[in-house]
Parts: sequence; structure tokens; C-alpha cells
Amino acid sequence: MAPAIRGRSSSRREEIRSCPLLCATAIVRPSPLKQRSDCAPLRRRRPIQVSLSLNGQLRILDCQPGETLLGALRRAGLWSVKHGCETGECGACAVLIDGALMPTCVLLAGQAAGRQVVTLECLAPGQSLHPLQQAFIEVGAIQCGYCSPAMILAAQALLAGNPRPSESDVREALSGVLCRCTGYKKPIEAVLRAAAALRGEPVPPIGGGGVPFEAVFGHGRDGGRTPADLAAPGGGPSGIRTRPIVAFPVTRMSPQPETDVVGHREPKVDAVKLAKGRAVFAGDVELPGMLHAALLTSPHAHARIRHIDASRARALPGVHAVLTHQDIPRVVYASGGQSFPNPPPYDQVSLDNKVRYAGDRVAVVAAETPEIAREALGLIDVGYEPLPAVFDPLQAMQPGAPRIHDEPDAVEILDANRNLVAQVHASVGDLERGLAESDRIFERRYYSQQVQQASIEPHVVITYWDEDDRLVVRTSTQVPFHVRRMLAPLLGLPVKRIRVIKPRIGGGFGGKQEMLIEDLCGHLTLATGRPVRFEYTREMEFTSARSRHPQWITYRAGVQADGTLNALEMCIVEDCGAYGTHGLTVCSVSGLRGLSTYRCPNMRLHADIVYTNKPVPGAFRGYGAPQALWALESLVDEVAAEMGFDPVEFRLRNAVRAGDPLALAKALGEGREGFEQIIQSCGLPDCAAQGAAAIGWDRRADPGWRRDPARPHLRRGLGMAVCMHGTAIAGLDMGAASIKMNDDGSFNLLVGATDLGTGSDTVLAQIAAETLGCLLADVVTYSSDTDLTPFDTGAYASSTTYISGGAVMKAAEQVREKIFARVALMLGVSGSAQQPSAAGMYLRNRSVWLPDGRSVSLEAVALHSLHTFDQEQIMATASHMSYHSPPPFAAQFAEVEVDTETGQVTVTRLVMAVDCGTAINPQTVEGQVEGGLVQALGYAVSEEMAYDQAGCLLTRRFGDYRVFQADEAPELQAILAPSYEPSGPFGAKAVAEIPMDGVAPAVANAVFDAVGVRLRSLPLTPEKVWLALKQAAVG
Amino acid sequence: MGEALAQLSEHAPQGNPLAGGTNLVVEMRVGRHQGKSMVDLGRLKELRGIQAQNGHIVIGGGTTVSELLKHPLIADHAVPLCQSAAVFANPLIRNRATVAGNLVDASPAADLAPPLLALGAEVELVSREHTRWVSLDEFMVGVRKTLIQPDELMRSIRWSKPPKRSAGAFYKVGLRKADAISVLSAAVMVACDTSGRCKLARIALGALAPRPLRAYEAEDVLQGQPLQAEGIAEAARLAAEAARPISDIRGTAEYRKRVTEVIVRRLLVQASEALEHP
Repeated sequence: MAPAIRGRSSSRREEIRSCPLLCATAIVRPSPLKQRSDCAPLRRRRPIQVSLSLNGQLRILDCQPGETLLGALRRAGLWSVKHGCETGECGACAVLIDGALMPTCVLLAGQAAGRQVVTLECLAPGQSLHPLQQAFIEVGAIQCGYCSPAMILAAQALLAGNPRPSESDVREALSGVLCRCTGYKKPIEAVLRAAAALRGEPVPPIGGGGVPFEAVFGHGRDGGRTPADLAAPGGGPSGIRTRPIVAFPVTRMSPQPETDVVGHREPKVDAVKLAKGRAVFAGDVELPGMLHAALLTSPHAHARIRHIDASRARALPGVHAVLTHQDIPRVVYASGGQSFPNPPPYDQVSLDNKVRYAGDRVAVVAAETPEIAREALGLIDVGYEPLPAVFDPLQAMQPGAPRIHDEPDAVEILDANRNLVAQVHASVGDLERGLAESDRIFERRYYSQQVQQASIEPHVVITYWDEDDRLVVRTSTQVPFHVRRMLAPLLGLPVKRIRVIKPRIGGGFGGKQEMLIEDLCGHLTLATGRPVRFEYTREMEFTSARSRHPQWITYRAGVQADGTLNALEMCIVEDCGAYGTHGLTVCSVSGLRGLSTYRCPNMRLHADIVYTNKPVPGAFRGYGAPQALWALESLVDEVAAEMGFDPVEFRLRNAVRAGDPLALAKALGEGREGFEQIIQSCGLPDCAAQGAAAIGWDRRADPGWRRDPARPHLRRGLGMAVCMHGTAIAGLDMGAASIKMNDDGSFNLLVGATDLGTGSDTVLAQIAAETLGCLLADVVTYSSDTDLTPFDTGAYASSTTYISGGAVMKAAEQVREKIFARVALMLGVSGSAQQPSAAGMYLRNRSVWLPDGRSVSLEAVALHSLHTFDQEQIMATASHMSYHSPPPFAAQFAEVEVDTETGQVTVTRLVMAVDCGTAINPQTVEGQVEGGLVQALGYAVSEEMAYDQAGCLLTRRFGDYRVFQADEAPELQAILAPSYEPSGPFGAKAVAEIPMDGVAPAVANAVFDAVGVRLRSLPLTPEKVWLALKQAAVG
Repeated sequence: MGEALAQLSEHAPQGNPLAGGTNLVVEMRVGRHQGKSMVDLGRLKELRGIQAQNGHIVIGGGTTVSELLKHPLIADHAVPLCQSAAVFANPLIRNRATVAGNLVDASPAADLAPPLLALGAEVELVSREHTRWVSLDEFMVGVRKTLIQPDELMRSIRWSKPPKRSAGAFYKVGLRKADAISVLSAAVMVACDTSGRCKLARIALGALAPRPLRAYEAEDVLQGQPLQAEGIAEAARLAAEAARPISDIRGTAEYRKRVTEVIVRRLLVQASEALEHP
């Protein structure tokens, strides 16, 4: 025997080539869920050595037996290789092995011995960019950038064998790499563009937003259908959706002054480092002496921990700390990343003597390797006393239901005996009278399911003591300042001894608007004095992170014969899971959004927010609005259909418009009273018109279009929904920015705002550059670090462009005034020092211009101010908040094919026309829309967290939890139909969340249009549609 | 190869062949296969390759799913297998996952099993002492159960070249195109004589019973008959009868059964049309 993977031996390389290998016997780990493992003799394992060609160089990697290639490569400093899952299903960890793209998380390091391994690091040397990287940057294919290295490698592997790929070839090639941000449209465009560039063909200028690929790159050689499609007897659920579009989108510029940077498709300021796969994410660092954390979670949905003994785990060599509820102080808190004081209830402690869902925290370990940490979990003895559990919120409210929160120290639970977290009531007018006076009354109930944010970067945090004995928390968060404040009492440290650093974030979608694991990681550093890395597995992302609140919504609508909405009642039962975080405020937003889109004199909201023994929902892009608009836009469609109105006309007739108040805005604030809102800008009719034109809405009247002679079991349909969202939380959200001027006339922009992949750093820099008359490249943006950047509430509630952007604009304006004053001083412009802008100066092209045509460069201004006379640092800090929350509007359209025999719904096109005010960066706006459409489509048709009868999650991996792949995503079209929002920077309002709101109802309405059945429960799985069709046929 | 077999023999029953690792490494991580020795087959050239031999198509057990997709012999002589490979997991997994690995893993929903059953495939099991051929239908016993012994490897898989005037097709029902696990899948293979009568019919079903299975009764009604709507409908009905699905998160038993009938019918229609218009 000559095993290739074991201790050093002189002829190792020869053996690698010639022999099968036998890994050391103990390469496997005990199950983390195993509670009482037999006391097997503990073998300490020798590291093994794996020799391979890594980016063209022979390397020998020291590996733990059983370690994956992913872990080994990252420890070797190849940080472009990302951890997204452990099952080979997200593709973030892909590398090229002997030229083929492979997932390294399901490859033992030893299996790579003797192979040629190529990672993104060697694609282009130094600061140079490969044409693929260039194209990804130019077209805006990079949002969070976490999957970009794998996507670029996948494209590289494709182009190596096929220099002239069709769109479907590209979709196929990218289909093994999941992206949660882009909807795949721009990555595909980037690959086609790079392929053209590599062939030496001219590439079109950037800026053809919404132009179909074929218009630019010609038709795919296979006519846009994949072999799988052609094979599918029913017309598969997949396919390539792009084909020539008749109606081109018209992007109208808003009525604003001409701008140089704002309103332009600028590449993201962080795109280069992301395209190159540099070590920019929270987990991309290795600190000396760093330990690795692992979390023991509950196998029971509801149980009391009768005893817990960690002594065997602590005795395991390499284990440095095991913490249970016995080891850390009991401090109640609410984990949602929200402003002080966090909305109630406070019903969590870091580690408790009771578990309330399968996946709940039990104990946490820090050890020298992740493998040892996982092994230690199996050595913790836990004696559970299982308790009756309840999973249905309606049952949970009944007398006699198990009481989930019986701890005496929970604060502000409305009625723990009935598992009631909170209730929300609001009303305007007289609902009962309104209903009584209406010609028709409709009552419908809708269900929306629990879905997961599924950012490809899991939650990851690194904590360590700095040289001043301050705790540094490097974390993947949307809310660094909330984390700092919320951590302090849990760790027993004052805020001033905590520093939170938010590097690049690999997507969040609300899942990281949560102080989820920073407390446990911090406790481990407190306990050990060592740096600790705590990274969730994908399975824990599903079982033990956050998700969207399932809601049952019952509407009663009173409508007059002429189609006027006269009364609207909304009753919500919200499944809050085991803890209250975000539950109240999400439900408030549901109520607000569900009762705001349409004018109605008589409205009433009642909401019950209820504990169950399920994994905890939290913030998820849309934050209550998708649930509400799923119900509302289904209801409105039903009313229109039953009363014989055109669904678009019916909506527009009743929809709010500029000048209207939002009736319930004051009543439904963020866990507290809100502020009156008057709509100041509304582009909804324009959105509806442009979207209808783009989707070909008039085809609804064409019976020929509805059928496919080649596939007689298919029916086509079109559906739509209108959406109205909010922009930031009125009177609560605040952002701040600092700008300082450097010797060369460039600026540092320091913002607390949290770019989680959306492009907010770029948008904020554009606002600064526009105001300061410089290039985007002259603004060096940094976000965010609680030591260095001013406060910001964080990236949530679609607030950053509007609130943080407002702060940037104010700070830039102050800096501008100081520049003008300096120029006045330099040129001796008399009498203008007090009011320099009155002297008619303006900033453009990196210079200050005077009315008489003279100019002074910004560099000269900077040198004068810093070095020459009456020296000062030109700088300013400003903060911004708003009592307005101006709503963005949108119309979303879906085209579907329904297989009447299997119930399969294939969404072939999605169109969204959006009024987000001025699009500061049309490219990133499109990215938000395209990515949101596909994320929302998953929620509409395929994604669902499913449980067994004991409340254990069944969908614990991407294979079972169905996130759309590149080859499945439909054709997408984003249309900008801007209005001008007077309260926003350069007329901007929000765009981040609204794409989530109307896709599900648009698809369901399209299914109705196609086959005449109403689905009132998400997701629209084939089986539900099939059942509905069967029932319709019988009934 | 000899050494791999020796290792397996020596460590039996604690030896475990490791090919692509796309299932095994995942399972190891959650604590399965404890105390077992992994014998890496990744470098064994003997396990690779796709060839035509004596009227058979023979593929090495270590052939990856990607290799199936690229090879002209598969495209020409195993259409259902090619169609199945195209929707197998994702392209990255296809570059790792092997045919033998998929069959030995013995998931009821193993994607490659129905097309290989429809092709009438046999598998070659070798140990240090012996070599034996077993029909795939016999090889698969139940959920995660096969006839393979701890000291054996699946060296190759073979099937007779389909005759002239034959056609086959595969389809998988999932919520998306390339799911990790299908709601159900089906494959058919039919051949006709010059008069248009069916002389060979195989119908295989996946994710519809504890193991992928042949719908023999459905096949029987097609034998000797022209492939026409009535017979196809009856065969599809019988195929659905043969299905013994469970209800789980991917679908209820009722739905699976009814859709089986639809899919088998469509596949047979598709195959019969392919025969008429080759």
C-alpha cells in the first residue's frame, strides 16, 4: 500500500499519480446533533499533506484529515474561494480542477492531490483585469460580489471551450453558481460582452438598459432553447426567455438640472476588488491564534434543558471554551437591529435553559480548528425534557396551548399565556358602515409562506481584543451601529469599548438586520482572550437564522357598483416563530402597506402576532409588504375580474396619487406612533402604462396567443400588480456622513451607511461627486466602522439613498461652501467670505468657476487650505433624517405558461416599471429590480421552508430550498419611470425593496388569466395548481 | 485498480469507495460513515471511458455525468440518459458526480437510474476475487440498498445498443429544472418492427417507489401493438398503477401517481413521434 495522503514521504508525488488513496481512518466527525456520544477514545489526528498544482505553482498544503478543499484553499490564502454551503449546490466555492469547474466544499482536500487547481487569483496578474472581470464591472454584473469569483471562473471555463457562446450556453454555464442579487441578467450580459471582446469584436457602449441580448449580441445559435427544453414533453419549467422585444423601454429623465455624475451608469466603486476576488469580506482574514466557533442547536422544537454537562467537550484537546447558559450572564434583549429603544418584546437571552424551536441555541464552543469545534459539540451532554410544541399560530392562541415564553424575566410580551407577542389595531372612517353602504362585499383569505433570505454569504463574525483592550467585532451586518449598542449590555462592556467593523457584505436582504451571532462570538473572545471566528453553515442559515414571517391575511372589501372602493378591512395572523424580534414592526408595515395603495374612506386593521415553536422570522427585503401586497393585489384582481373591470384600469381608478394623505401612516409607525404622510410624487400611471406596453398586455385579448398548437396542454396568461412601498422610516432613521478634502483635491467620504452589495457606496459617492464637481473616482468612500464613520441606522427600510444620501449631500454642500470661501480668500474676492456662493461661484470639472470665467482647481484649493495661509482642513460632517417617507411606485407584470395536466407554472417573463424618483445610478437601480424580481419569483413559485410534524425543518440545503438558477430565471425587464421627489437628494426615493412586492400576485393573477383558477396560498407549486384545476373541473 | 480492490477487501466492511464525493463528503460532514476508510477511486483510469463493444455501449463506473453529456455514443445510443444528465443537479456537480456513484448511492430519486433501466442496463461488480454482471433492475433493492458487497466496486455499466427504429425519452418533474431531488421522473425506450408494431418497450420510474422501478405491466400492453393513442393511454395508466409513491415535501402520493400517468403518456407519444419522423 502506498497511500498518497498521509505523513511526509520522499516519493509522495509519484504515489499521487499512480495509486488510489486511503485516507486516514478517522476523517469523519461526530454528528453535531448527537447528544450523548459514546465515550470513544479520542484520537488526535496528524495533519496530512496534499501536493497539488495551485495556480500554476506546485504547493503542498497541510490539511486536517477529512478537511475539504474549500477549507484548505482558504487557509492557504486563496480568499476568492467562498463558502456558501456544504453540499456543492451554491457554487460559491468553485475552482477549476484540471480545467473543469468543481465545487470544493464536497471535495476532500486529498482528492485534489496531483491535480491542477486554478482559482480566480490567477486570472489576471496584479492590478490588471481580465476581459471577463472588465465586463462584469462595466455592465454592473457585480452586486455583493460574493459569487462573482465563481461566476467569472465558470465563464472562463465556458469560453475556453466555446468562444462564441449563445445566451443559453452562458445560462447553462452559470447555472451551477447561485446568485441572490442580480437575477443573472447582467452577469449573462457580461459574459457575452467579454466573449465578444475576446474575439476581437467591438462591444457596444454601456447604457442600453433593457435592450434584449439579441439586439446587441445576435441570436443564440440554438434559438434560445436548451436541450433539456427540447426534451421536455411538457415544455419544461426551464428555458431561455430572451427574445426580441417589440416595445422598447423609454427611460425618461426626471425634470432636474443637468448632472455630470448623478443619473449616470457609473461602475460600482467597489467593483474592481470584488471582480478580482480580493479578501474583502468579513471572513476573509486569518488572525494569529484565531479559534473557530461551533454552535450546538436544539433537536427539539420545545424543551427544557434539565441538565447540561460540557466537561467532556472541555477536555477535548484543542477546545478552549464551551459556554452554556450556566456560563454567561442572563440579559434579556431583542435581537432585531433597530433603533433605541428596540421595539418590544425583550424575550431572548444569549443562552437559555429552555429551547423554543428545533435549531435554537444550546451551547457554543471555541476550538483550534472547525473540525475540533464540531467534534466537541458531540461531547456536550444535554438532558432535555421535551415539552408539547405548537406550530400553528391559530392553535397557539387557543386556551391550553403550550406556553412558549414562561420565563419570568421577559419584558413586554402582550399575553404570554396565549402566545400573543403583540396586536396591532388601526382604523380610519367607519368600516362597518362603509361595508353596509357598499354594493358588493368580497371576503378572501390569503396565505404567504415562510421563506429565507438565503444570502450566499452566511452570517460570519470575527471578534478579537485590540491593543487597547477594546473588543473588535468584524461582522457581516447591515446594522453595525445597532450591533455595537445592543452587544454592550450582553457582553457587559460599555459601548466605548466595542468597535464594529463592517467590511464588504455578501448579501443580506434583511437577514443581517439582526444581531444574530455577534454576542456568542464576543462571549467566546471574552472567555478565551483569543480571536474567534464564527461562521454559520448553510444548514444553520436555514434552521437558526431569520426568515420571512408567514401571514394569513383576511380581507373584506366593500366596492360600489361603479368600481369605487368604499371599505377595506385587513385581519392578519402573523406567525412570529419562537422569538418576537421584528414581529411587531413587520406586521405594522404589512398593515400600512396593505391599506395604503388604494384610496378608501373606511379602513380597519387588526393583527395578531403569535409565537410558535418554529425558527424565527425577522427582517426580509420587503418587511411585511410582500405579504400584504400578495393579499391585496390578489384581492383587487379578484374584485376587478368578478365585477368585470379591466384589472389595470380598476387599480388606477382607486390608487392613491400625488397630494393624497396616507391615512394610516400616523397610526402605524415603527413600533411606535408614526408621522402624517402626504404623497408628493407618484409615477404609478406611467409605470402601469409602460409596463403594460412592454409585456404586451393587449395579448390578453388574443385567444390564439393563449394556446400552443405544439403543446395542447399549455395555456398562457398575463397578470399584473401595482406596488407602493416606503422610503425609510419617517422620523426615526438617521444617517450621517463626513467628507474631508485631500491635497490633490480628492475627497474622503466616510459614511456609517452599510453597503451590503446594493451599490450604496457608489450612489453616495455619486451624490458627493456631483455636489463637489469632481469625478466619481475622486471620492474615496469608506463604510463602515463605528470608530471611524459617523452614525447611521443601517441598511434597511429602503433608506440609504434617501437618508444617508441626504446626509452626504448636506455634508458635500457644507464642504462646497468652505471651498468657495477658500477661493474667495485666494482670489481676494471682496465681501464674499461670509456668503461665498452668493458670489456666483460653482463647482465643475474639478474646479471652482467664477462668473467672470476665472477658475481655481480643487487641487489648488486643497493645497492652499492645507499648507499656504490661514490653514484649515476643509471638511464637514452632516446628518440627515426625514419626517417624510416618500413612496416609490411600481407596476409588475408576469407572463406565464401553465401546464394544465401537471400544474406546472413556468414564468416566462417579468417586467417591472418603477418610479423610484431620480435614479442616481440607473445601472444599480436595474440591478436592484432584476435581482429583486427573481428573488420574489422564488417566493412566488418555489421557495418554502417546510417542516416535519415535530417541527424540524426539512429544507436544510439549497437542493431542497429552491433558489432560481441562471438557466431557470425568466426574461427580465426593468423600466425606469421616474418622478421627481422633492424631499430626496436629486429627487431620489427608494428602490431596494419594492421589487419584492408584486411578483407573487402578478404571477397568481397570470395563472388565473391562463387557466381560470385562483390560488390563494403561496408558493404556487405544481401540485397546488393541479389540485385547483382538478377541483375547478369537478365543481 | 487492483490496489483499490485490495484495500476494500482488507478493510471490509469498513472500506468505502469514494468517487466524486458529491454525496459521500456531504454525508461524512454530518457524521455518517464514521470509522470507515475512504478509498479514493478518482484517479483510476480503468473506471473511466465510454465505448462501443460487441453491440453494447459500455461506460466506466467512474464516468462523470458531464462526460455522458459530451459523448456522441451517449447522444446516439442513450437519448434518455443524455436527457437525464442534462438536468442532473448543476454543472459543477455534474463534473464530479459519477454514474456508479449515483447508482450505488441508491436514492429512490437517483436521476440516472430510470434512463438506465429503460435502456436495460447491467452493472459489473468486481472484487479481488470475482467479477459479476447484474441487471440494474435486480441491483437496486430498496432505499439505499443494493446488491453490492463491501469488497466490491461497480466497474462498469453496459446496455445493448438500441435497435434501429427505436426511440427513448426522459423527463423529470421538479419545482425547477435541475433540482437536487425530483418530484418524480420517468424514462421510456421503445422499438418497433418494420410494420410499426412495438417489439420492445421499457418504462422506468424514479422517485415513485423505494427504488427506481420498471413498470412491467405497462410495458406488456405495448408489446406487439402499434404505438397508438389508446395503447399509450393504457400503458400510462398502468405505469401510474405501478408507482408506489410516498407523500413528502416534494409532493403527495396522489399527485405523483396522477402526474406519472401524464408524463409516461407524453414520453410514449414523444417516442412514437420520433419513430414516425426519425
